[in-house]
Amino acid sequence: MSTPTLVTVADVTKSFGTNAVLKGVSFEVPTGSVTTIIGPSGSGKTTVLRSLNALERPDTGVITIGEVRVDFSTDIPEAEFYRFRGQSGMVFQAHNLFPHKTVLQNIIEGPVIVQRRAADEARADAIDLLRSVGLDGKQDQYPYQLSGGQQQRVGIARALALKPKLMLFDEPTSALDPELVGEVLAVIKDLATQGWTMVIVTHEIRFAQQVADQVLFTDGGVVLESGPPSSVIGAPKQERTQQFLRRILDPL
Amino acid sequence: MLGVLVALVALACGQGAEGGSDRVASAGVLRIGTEGTYAPFSYHDSATGALSGYDIDVARAVADKLGVRAEFVETPWDSIFAALESGRFDVVANQVTITPERQAKYDLSKPYAVGEGVIVTRANDNSIKSLNDLSGKITAQSVTSNWAEVARQAGAKVEAVEGFTQAITLLNQGRVDATVNDSIAVFAYLATTNDTSVKIAAKTGQRSEQAFAAGKNSGLLPELNRAITELGADGTLARISEKYLKADASGTAPQQGTAAPAPSTVKLILDNLWPMARATITATIPLTAISFVIGLVIALGVALARMSPNRLVSGVARSYISIIRGTPLLVQLFLIFYALPELGIKIDPFPAAIIAFSLNVGGYAAEVIRSAISSIPKGQWEAAQTIGMKYPTTLRRIILPQASRVAVPPLSNTLISLVKDTSLASTILVTELLRTAQVAAAPTFEFFAMYGTAAAYYWVICLALSFWQGRVERRLERYVAR
Repeated sequence: MSTPTLVTVADVTKSFGTNAVLKGVSFEVPTGSVTTIIGPSGSGKTTVLRSLNALERPDTGVITIGEVRVDFSTDIPEAEFYRFRGQSGMVFQAHNLFPHKTVLQNIIEGPVIVQRRAADEARADAIDLLRSVGLDGKQDQYPYQLSGGQQQRVGIARALALKPKLMLFDEPTSALDPELVGEVLAVIKDLATQGWTMVIVTHEIRFAQQVADQVLFTDGGVVLESGPPSSVIGAPKQERTQQFLRRILDPL
Repeated sequence: MLGVLVALVALACGQGAEGGSDRVASAGVLRIGTEGTYAPFSYHDSATGALSGYDIDVARAVADKLGVRAEFVETPWDSIFAALESGRFDVVANQVTITPERQAKYDLSKPYAVGEGVIVTRANDNSIKSLNDLSGKITAQSVTSNWAEVARQAGAKVEAVEGFTQAITLLNQGRVDATVNDSIAVFAYLATTNDTSVKIAAKTGQRSEQAFAAGKNSGLLPELNRAITELGADGTLARISEKYLKADASGTAPQQGTAAPAPSTVKLILDNLWPMARATITATIPLTAISFVIGLVIALGVALARMSPNRLVSGVARSYISIIRGTPLLVQLFLIFYALPELGIKIDPFPAAIIAFSLNVGGYAAEVIRSAISSIPKGQWEAAQTIGMKYPTTLRRIILPQASRVAVPPLSNTLISLVKDTSLASTILVTELLRTAQVAAAPTFEFFAMYGTAAAYYWVICLALSFWQGRVERRLERYVAR
């Protein structure tokens, strides 16, 4: 069964000074699918994810999301740049909620201030979103009054509120206490069943295996191995992939 | 704490009272308070740097007659009587004019110089021909000089200045219409500068007799008067006068006036409570508020420029901060008010003060705001970017509200300093709280009462600001875990 492609990444490179972090990364994300990126730290997986939102601006390469195509080796008009960024919503490792705003204000900030949607409508949507991430009734709390897992779920709701085509997760559970990881992963799984297109950088290999349609293994600034979880995680071909999985799954 | 203060004051007073002829004789030194900036009476010779002048030479000659050494203590005119009362020196030799008020408060000697009051105007101004013509005009006067009172009684508006030179400067700049002073001082000025832009337009009719002032009941008067009489008789005074003024102003012994009853200190304070409150409301508070708001706007711009990746932009901001923080506020005020007119830019006192204070606040607050913005985690910028915000929106809605929590305590310090710094505006003719206190203190010599009242006013304003700071801080901390 062939599905339309939402994201095409073609030969993206990025250096910080003399340090080449991405050395030509290419992959595709089909609409409605879940892609997880795994790999050792420093392999460039977070930089790939941040490139999809232009938080990190690639030096060269072309990224297409939906109808927006951006060639990073050329000058990008400002309007086009913001249109590109508007295609995706980002969930951070450290949630980065706005501490001076309530849960509700965090969620409606983007829709009302940036997308200029009516405040009433944005507020109603936000209440629905809070219910869907299991935070009914928390709308008037400040972030500091919530647990880490709750904060991260507000972070997810904030990204969803922009109604993006693509959801990006940067190690969404790495900063959480172990007993709080489950509630966040459950929300992400839920989104997968609702048909959201998602790209997730994660260290949770079991989770990646369960939720992903496609797994990318990055190492040394390139995608070394990709495919369904049953092959990349279940039966990796590359020796680096095998080594990495052994270390992660059986650290002793 | 208070006890120690009272003890210190008592000690200082004790020392003042203990001065006098016994102390002079036993120490072998006559300590003389003088301005040192009042040519040709008390000034430093431009060639040798030595203190010289009419009053200096007379004082030296008097010390000689007394058989003691003359030791000069240079003190600004506005604080010279306060210093005399606190026993920093034995006599004042600085063209002290004999007045009933001064006679009530001090021991005044026989005069050693006699002049008459004259009105000085710009050379091309023919509107003032008599003392009466001063009505409705603006004159520049040193507040503690008796000529300020002469001008005020003639119906002139009096702008307070530091001395005669400043008065002439303001006259030449067209900021005032006239200045009233002693013919001796004016002739001396005209003789030494060859200034043809000003002229003596009229006489006031007052004779002015200049004498030494010593502390009340100093016991010095008999000896001082004997010395002055001898110096007059042997021609020394006339010789000194010719040397500095190219005229004989040594005069003859005058009749001394009778002492006027001094008003009570309590009444003086009560009488001045409202004028000082009015100066606070119309000058000190507006100066503070307007300068602070403009200063914060400047500071935000400078802070952002300072953080700019553009080297030129950040360099300019860095230099601005460096210059503002590296130069005295008083010098900045003087540059804007007294120096800019030389470049053809003449700014009125109040706006000049606003400009100087705003620029000053801008320099200091820029660093506070910059460090507050820097303290906000990078993740906040990134989160704002990912929901599509551009730089100005991010700053306004996400960064500055959080930075303000960090910035409020140090900015409150800046504001409270500014309240007190506005007192410096008194030096550029702004009639604010301190100037009002100075004007009230000058003719009555009630320095402690008037400056103490001014200090209380400043303290009350700052107290109110501290309470307000507490409220703002509590409000900004509502979203922080406690």
